[in-house]
Amino acid sequence: MKYVKRGAAAVLFFVGLVGLLWASSWIVTPKNNMKEFGMEEVSANGILGEKDNTIDVLVLGDSESYSAITPMQLWKETGYTAYVCGTSAQTLDYTNRLLRRAFEDQTPKLVILETNAIFRKVALSKAMLSTLGNVLPVFQYHDRWKDLNENDWKGNVKFTWTNDLKGYRYNANIVPSKIVDYMVPTKDIANIPELNRQYVESIKNYCDEHGAKLIFLSTPSTINWNYKRHNAVAQLADDLQCDYVDLNLMTEEVPINWHTDTRDKGDHLNHAGAVKVTRYLGIYLQNRKELTDHRDDPHYAKWDDSLKKYEAKVKAK
Amino acid sequence: MFAMNSYFSVQYLAVLLPVTVVLYAVMPQKARRVVLLLASYAFFWAVSGKLLVYLLASTLSIHLLGLWLSHLQEKGDRYVKTLPKEARKPAKAKSLRRQRAVMAFAVVLHVGILLTLKYSRFFITNVNALFQFFRSPFMLSVPAFLLPIGISFYTLQAVSYLFDVYRRKIPADHNLLRLALFMGFFPQIMEGPICRYSDTAAQLWEVPSLSWRNLTFGLQRILFGVMKKMVVADRLNILIQNVFTNYEAYDGFVTAIAVVCYTVQLYMDFSGTMDLVIGTAQIFGVKLPENFQRPFFSHTISEFWKRWHITLGTWFKDYIFYPLSMSKPLKKLTSHARKHLGNHFGPLISGSIALFCVWVCNGLWHGAGWHYLFFGMYHFVLILCGSLFEPLVIKVTGILHIRRDSAAYRGMQIVRTGLLVCVGELFFRAEGLRAGLIMFQKMFTDFSLAAFDDRSLFTIGMDKYDFLIVFLVMVLIFLISLQQEKGIVLRESIAARPLAIRFAVYYALILLIVIFGAYGAGYVPVDPIYAGF
Repeated sequence: MKYVKRGAAAVLFFVGLVGLLWASSWIVTPKNNMKEFGMEEVSANGILGEKDNTIDVLVLGDSESYSAITPMQLWKETGYTAYVCGTSAQTLDYTNRLLRRAFEDQTPKLVILETNAIFRKVALSKAMLSTLGNVLPVFQYHDRWKDLNENDWKGNVKFTWTNDLKGYRYNANIVPSKIVDYMVPTKDIANIPELNRQYVESIKNYCDEHGAKLIFLSTPSTINWNYKRHNAVAQLADDLQCDYVDLNLMTEEVPINWHTDTRDKGDHLNHAGAVKVTRYLGIYLQNRKELTDHRDDPHYAKWDDSLKKYEAKVKAK
Repeated sequence: MFAMNSYFSVQYLAVLLPVTVVLYAVMPQKARRVVLLLASYAFFWAVSGKLLVYLLASTLSIHLLGLWLSHLQEKGDRYVKTLPKEARKPAKAKSLRRQRAVMAFAVVLHVGILLTLKYSRFFITNVNALFQFFRSPFMLSVPAFLLPIGISFYTLQAVSYLFDVYRRKIPADHNLLRLALFMGFFPQIMEGPICRYSDTAAQLWEVPSLSWRNLTFGLQRILFGVMKKMVVADRLNILIQNVFTNYEAYDGFVTAIAVVCYTVQLYMDFSGTMDLVIGTAQIFGVKLPENFQRPFFSHTISEFWKRWHITLGTWFKDYIFYPLSMSKPLKKLTSHARKHLGNHFGPLISGSIALFCVWVCNGLWHGAGWHYLFFGMYHFVLILCGSLFEPLVIKVTGILHIRRDSAAYRGMQIVRTGLLVCVGELFFRAEGLRAGLIMFQKMFTDFSLAAFDDRSLFTIGMDKYDFLIVFLVMVLIFLISLQQEKGIVLRESIAARPLAIRFAVYYALILLIVIFGAYGAGYVPVDPIYAGF
């Protein structure tokens, strides 16, 4: 009887605890996807404010992704809708979270994973905390106790903000790269940490379950990319049966000029480089014949408004 | 992959500890010892990797040296018994000389490893500086040894075991597994408490079944420690790092705030770790010695050190202070000084010499740096002055009719001791002795409240809400400490309450950690401070 009582007390305690954590999560979760509402990484989370089921291509990755792919250019040239959920120094636990968040209201047919993030080590503790945060958001947003307002207690969640650049971060600065021949062929293979590999597998499975195709994309970078990494991703793509496009090896299709197309000595592309990458990406996607041109669809009229703002921004600089 | 650097890591709290508890619970008694030992070595491996070999070597060596000492003692005793009375004394002395030689070898071996790994860099750097000063062309290459975690702690345990065997306080342990558990028990290997063999070895060997009381009380204590560390110590970290690293950029007021914050952080980090450590041990039915006894209620620096890092203080007292003050030359000096200086000041001379040695060791134990030595000397001077001026203070307070047992006087003593401790911690944390002196000077020569008036104080790493939550938790801890000072055991009184009240207390503690803990994006948790010593 003593053990039954103790067991019941323990169960009761944990049920109560989960209930309290759930209630706290409900309170501290941002009620809109803007910074003033406590949302983190608003540029990437702008996708939450997009009209439901309007995104064709979801791009995930670190700063390489939001520096190299400009969705409005893609829209202009192909009529495909893309959103870049890229964040600085993104680790795959966050990639995973952004993917799942995006799929709550969107049904992209293609998910592009910029491959630099695959090599960024995810600490086990961070991964565990991140997983906990996915289930109980209080572990992620706990610090919002500092700026809770009346609306947080009502719990009305409504994401209203959209990003006119669709996650792309415009930068036209030019700081040339001294390195040019960075893709020296080798048979060596860079190491992908085991936990990272598991994350990529999880992303692939999630895409499969939701009817999306996962594509690995390595955007040009003289600092971050090399042949060893190419080999590692090629092998991973082979293992997971994903398509892999390495633009670092496609110098004819994507003629990056490392004197003019980088903003920080080859680490990231600038706007000129992004236009070249996006132009090729458009052709690549057109060749796949999986997406529809939405340019004449009135349902997507807002994309034309965003395009005007994007072009005005580019012109202004 | 399973690397960790602290007891507060998710790997420890969510994996290693629960797995060990479950395995411990389901295993038969004999296997539980193996579970604890394997968990201990797994923990050490996860923190220090291959450096585990140092711990294994130390364990094996104290096992063998202990047996050797024991063998010499038994052999000597047997031999002495066979001798006539008049021949026993020289034979005893001869046996003792042999034991002393083994003991000296043991100390040189263990302390030598510690000195080599921890202090050779400091020593050689200073020798090179001296060479440079004398324009010598010689330069020694500076070694870069990797330091196994907890070496400063387990070395003291090893030495205390051997000394206790040598002094015949305990018999040498023939059981290597028990000794290995005593040396490597995972909750205390990283930051202590520094245990004596007589305190913990038998308990560790007993490995009682998991009990509901031990489990719940242990978990409560762990939660309390996590709260101290994550809500207070980690929250203070960015401000402290900013001010101590860029001390030249901040005025005396901000420096003073950072110094107080650091003192609080050090206490919350170390005592929080001890709560976690002692709570973990309690789960396994092991009662580790307490390392803190509300030190900020101390009236004097001497009392402070009896309440702060208690096991280190008692180690120094038992293995350095007493042996030195009871040594023949100092005994002689005492009796000589007593004749000339009287009963108060006479014994103070030899006591001061022993105390000086203790504080040199204490300072350097904390780290290889001049500022650590300065920290030790600072406390030595304070304690010595306390003893020297005690008769004068009694006289003056008597003349002025100040009641030394009044609340106001005792309150003043507590505040004074707290301030003196803060000054010591300033030098302890400063990026070198020079930086410490500049920061100390600034508090008097560059003091203004401008950073508070223009609110820039709240942009250094803590905003007003951070200060508020730290303050509230400090008030909570103060109230709890006050109850403990009165002898009220709060955990027992909570345990006696109805279930709903107990649950409410635990929920409050957990939510306090989850919501107000300084973890995740934007925070840099403080590395275990004492593990670095």
